[in-house]
Amino acid sequence: MKIVVTVKQVPDTNAEKVFDSTTNRLNRTSIENVLNPFDEYAIEEALKIKEGAGDGSTVTVLTMAPESGREVIRKALAMGADDAAILSDPAFQGSDAMATSYALAQALKHIGFDLILAGTQSTDAICCAIPAALAEHLGVSCLTYARKVTVAGGEVEIQRDIEGGYARVTAPLPAVVSVVKGINEPRYPSLKGIMGAKKKSIEVLSAAAVGAEAGRVGDAGSFTRVQGWAAAPAREKGRVIKAADPGEGAKAIVDFLIAKKVI
Amino acid sequence: MRSVAVFVEQDSGAVRRTALEMCTKAADLAKELNTASMAVVVGTGANAAADRLKATPVDKIAACEDPIFERYLLDPAVDALQSALEQAGPAIVLFASTNASKDIAARIAVRLRAGIITEANEIAVKDGSLSVQSPKFGGSVITTVAIKNAENAVIVCRSNSFAAREEPGKGEIVSLPAPGGAGYRATVHERRSEEAGKLGVEEATIVVSGGRGLGGPEHFDIIEGLADALGGAVGASRAAVDAGWIAHGHQVGQTGKSVSPQLYIACGISGAIQHKVGMRSAGTIVAINKDASAPIYDFCDLGVVGDLFAIVPELTKLVKERKGAA
Ligand SMILES: Cc1cc2nc3c(=O)[nH]c(=O)nc-3n(C[C@H](O)[C@H](O)[C@H](O)COP(=O)(O)OP(=O)(O)OC[C@H]3O[C@@H](n4cnc5c(N)ncnc54)[C@H](O)[C@@H]3O)c2cc1C
Ligand SMILES: Nc1ncnc2c1ncn2[C@@H]1O[C@H](COP(=O)(O)O)[C@@H](O)[C@H]1O
Repeated sequence: MKIVVTVKQVPDTNAEKVFDSTTNRLNRTSIENVLNPFDEYAIEEALKIKEGAGDGSTVTVLTMAPESGREVIRKALAMGADDAAILSDPAFQGSDAMATSYALAQALKHIGFDLILAGTQSTDAICCAIPAALAEHLGVSCLTYARKVTVAGGEVEIQRDIEGGYARVTAPLPAVVSVVKGINEPRYPSLKGIMGAKKKSIEVLSAAAVGAEAGRVGDAGSFTRVQGWAAAPAREKGRVIKAADPGEGAKAIVDFLIAKKVI
Repeated sequence: MRSVAVFVEQDSGAVRRTALEMCTKAADLAKELNTASMAVVVGTGANAAADRLKATPVDKIAACEDPIFERYLLDPAVDALQSALEQAGPAIVLFASTNASKDIAARIAVRLRAGIITEANEIAVKDGSLSVQSPKFGGSVITTVAIKNAENAVIVCRSNSFAAREEPGKGEIVSLPAPGGAGYRATVHERRSEEAGKLGVEEATIVVSGGRGLGGPEHFDIIEGLADALGGAVGASRAAVDAGWIAHGHQVGQTGKSVSPQLYIACGISGAIQHKVGMRSAGTIVAINKDASAPIYDFCDLGVVGDLFAIVPELTKLVKERKGAA
């Protein structure tokens, strides 16, 4: 079975975000990037499925990013993925969610897959759109928000997070599955894994290589335009009181809530 | 001219407040754009939900009641919505920020070649075109996004972003034909409810969260007591979730949910940046922590330094008294 995990590099939460004033786009090269935390769960799940199958299944990692995306790829390889592909081409610059999902889908067709694993969201954009969009582009089953995944006999079964509980859902492969945090404990790369990762292959794919039409990627292929951005107003430091006793503390809160008309 | 549509999720005929907020927003946008608004609702209970939506300001309600929506995961809903939209012509389609709606939104966007904007908390019309506000990077940056080169727009909205208004008797109900069912692959075998009837943190107008300061799973009941008294939902920090004290669906923060309730009460939570990014857009933040130097005190509106085990039960009592008196 060929498992492909889509991963994204995202700016570190603590990093200061710098925007290009002409394009209104985040300058991703000037800040520290990390592997999207949600994707670690997808990688771990892929490795577990591969190890459980024990049948020569492989795990490939795919990212669409500038060449600097190699760093996050290396972490995935060090965790145990077999090989990687990085979709990188100036033509992709400025791709929005729809253009990104199209480009990734083209790459997935090029690489081939039985099972695609993804995180549920990225911490920078929080689109939560790519996994379902991929399934739609590829015309395969879409099983998202999985808290448990089992693969057997050409079929995948998940427990899907739903409002107030879960649903048991099955579908034939090929399929896209996105996993929620909490599905597993992502492993730390071992020293051996880190050394071994250096020898693993990272294929760089251009737009032409995956047959992505020029009009459907990059800024020209995007349907949204960021017109402007502003730093969110900082939250002011409010009143902090030290209550003499619990009753007084509780009373201060209730009075405050009444003044705010919350209760 | 693009019409404005809303995909409404319902459960046995009940619709969430977010849907009522979006129906109001859709009707207001349609008025500004000189076009019509429509709500689409599917599944078992769709007809009852449609009756409820008649009291919102939308012009039309397209409903499809059929068991097929329960048998397959989302495939029939995407088909039904697509056919309703194709009949109506180019549209701006609003979705709630739930797992199911986010999936349908992404899939409809691919099918209709629509621009998709997520995490929207304000939608306006400027010089005849759409201008949508969406917080990014954990709410530290607010972007303004427009649609270009696309006839259709898909917008996923945050809860508590728009006011809901009633206009009883307004909407006209039309019924949608049930989708065929050919080629549906993802089959739903059972649904298990674990916390039936509990409000999710994303939608609640009040969230009471507990952190590592609770010291153990058995103490979450005092958080629940306060949440119940206030009519709110229970949230948690990652530390509490990772310790196994509460299910991960309650986690607020970078690797949990982003919430924007009217009121957020943090109990025994230090206020790490990864927690802050999930709740910084709350209307009012109250913190209870025994450490006067906890970072949460740098960005809360009211902080009470003290022992949560003493303060929270007392607070619950006072809230109940107040509500009883009101
Ligand atoms: C990649 C990544 C993603 C993350 N994502 C998230 C996320 O989504 N959400 C999240 O919350 N965190 C997240 N974190 C973790 C975050 O950095 C903090 O570790 C976490 O928020 C701390 O939780 P806490 O405030 O409950 O615990 P602590 O930091 O341990 O704070 C507990 C607080 O309780 C107070 N306390 C103790 N006893 C009492 C008492 N009796 N009465 C009153 N106060 C008391 C203490 O003074 C202390 O301030 C993430 C971290 C990383 C690296
Ligand atoms: N540029 C990208 N390259 C590869 N995978 C991506 C990319 N963007 C998003 N994804 C995948 O889609 C998931 C959801 O991200 P998003 O829809 O952006 O919130 C992530 O967890 C990744 O698995």
